[in-house]
Amino acid sequence: MNSPMRQLIFPTSIDLVRIAPERIVYISSDGNYSTLVQADGEVRMLSFQLGQIEKMIADQLGSAGNRFIRIGKSLIINRSYIYYINVPKQKLVLSDVATFSHTMSASKEALKSLKDLMEKEITL
Amino acid sequence: MIQFEKDIEDSEIRIIGHDLVPVPDGPQPPRKPRRVWRWVIGLALLIVSALIIDLIADRVASRRTQNLYIDEPSYFEPLMESEPLVKVQQIVDHPYDSVFVGYTEIRDTMVNDIPIRIYTPHHAEMTLHLGRINRQDTTIVYVAQAADVRADNGGIVGAFVLRGEPKAWGLSKKGFCASIDGKVTIGVADNSPLFERATERGGDFFRQYPLVDRGTPIFNEPKGKAIRRAICERGGTIFMVETLAKESFYDFAQALADMGVYNAIYLVGSTAYGWAVDHQGIAHEFGEDDCYAGRRRMPKNTSYIVWRRK
Repeated sequence: MNSPMRQLIFPTSIDLVRIAPERIVYISSDGNYSTLVQADGEVRMLSFQLGQIEKMIADQLGSAGNRFIRIGKSLIINRSYIYYINVPKQKLVLSDVATFSHTMSASKEALKSLKDLMEKEITL
Repeated sequence: MIQFEKDIEDSEIRIIGHDLVPVPDGPQPPRKPRRVWRWVIGLALLIVSALIIDLIADRVASRRTQNLYIDEPSYFEPLMESEPLVKVQQIVDHPYDSVFVGYTEIRDTMVNDIPIRIYTPHHAEMTLHLGRINRQDTTIVYVAQAADVRADNGGIVGAFVLRGEPKAWGLSKKGFCASIDGKVTIGVADNSPLFERATERGGDFFRQYPLVDRGTPIFNEPKGKAIRRAICERGGTIFMVETLAKESFYDFAQALADMGVYNAIYLVGSTAYGWAVDHQGIAHEFGEDDCYAGRRRMPKNTSYIVWRRK
């Protein structure tokens, strides 16, 4: 029997967000808060800093947390949705090539690392 | 050991649960010195200071009261009672409730080389408003002009229902938008039963140019280019769209369809005034708020879609 898909849980003292990891497109830093963008287009504020979110993901998902990649200080992305990387233009597009497309910017160095990482996946 | 939070630079990436991925081809960026020890020492000093102050204060208090309350328990007990009070205070003072605070998500994108801004209200409900809008109304998270106004007599173009009361009748435009019992419906039809239902249920209804009908862009008569706006439905989500450059009706409708919009109708574009309030409570205005200043008077039948926090 297959074990149920692990859900990510972000609890605060007054509320709780429970979401399947594959439904998260990216999480961006918003000062002391973070903005979670879901695959259905919903956006949710989380009252945690991005570093705390990263730790929660690592603690809750363990090795399965490698689905997510921290990019610089202000972004955590779901690698499943990486659609387009342009290093000189510092452009990163996350899309499911069906219902959503999010364009964001990151440093050239980070995008180069990300591009190399994706290229390595070809040989795996 | 994996470090979190500030232990990453903007030039670096890290697979979560793993170490940093090295930056290829080129020097590594200089790392800031770790401030962990500074924090630990600072925290330790704070704790020691707090304990000393607490001890002194308790001794002073006990000396003052020991003659009156000789048989009272030791001074450590009241500290235990105060713990739940602190927790209640933390809950009350919690700065953010992610479930109940209404706001408008604002995102920019490009579709067919058209720069587009998308406004998606969250935890908010839409109604119509007739007449000048109160700019001090803090319940509003998004507002934009809805129906057109006739140039000849200042009447509303097309059928219009305001909180169940019909204000105008007519079918000059086939697009419609209804907000009934908290549900917003957008569509294209000569006759919509939602007009009657809005009158029966105390809802709102207005008509505008249709832009997208079940995924297909609609060709409209008006020519020329202007800032375009629309209210759209995609996958059950209602959102508003604004072009950040002047566009033709047709290009705008095509871009909406290419975005995957299922139904969309026009909102008054060009310099029509409105604003959106983001999650930080910051109002983002569009159009011109002084459009009706001076001798030019705002038509009394100017209408707005207004999204208010639930």
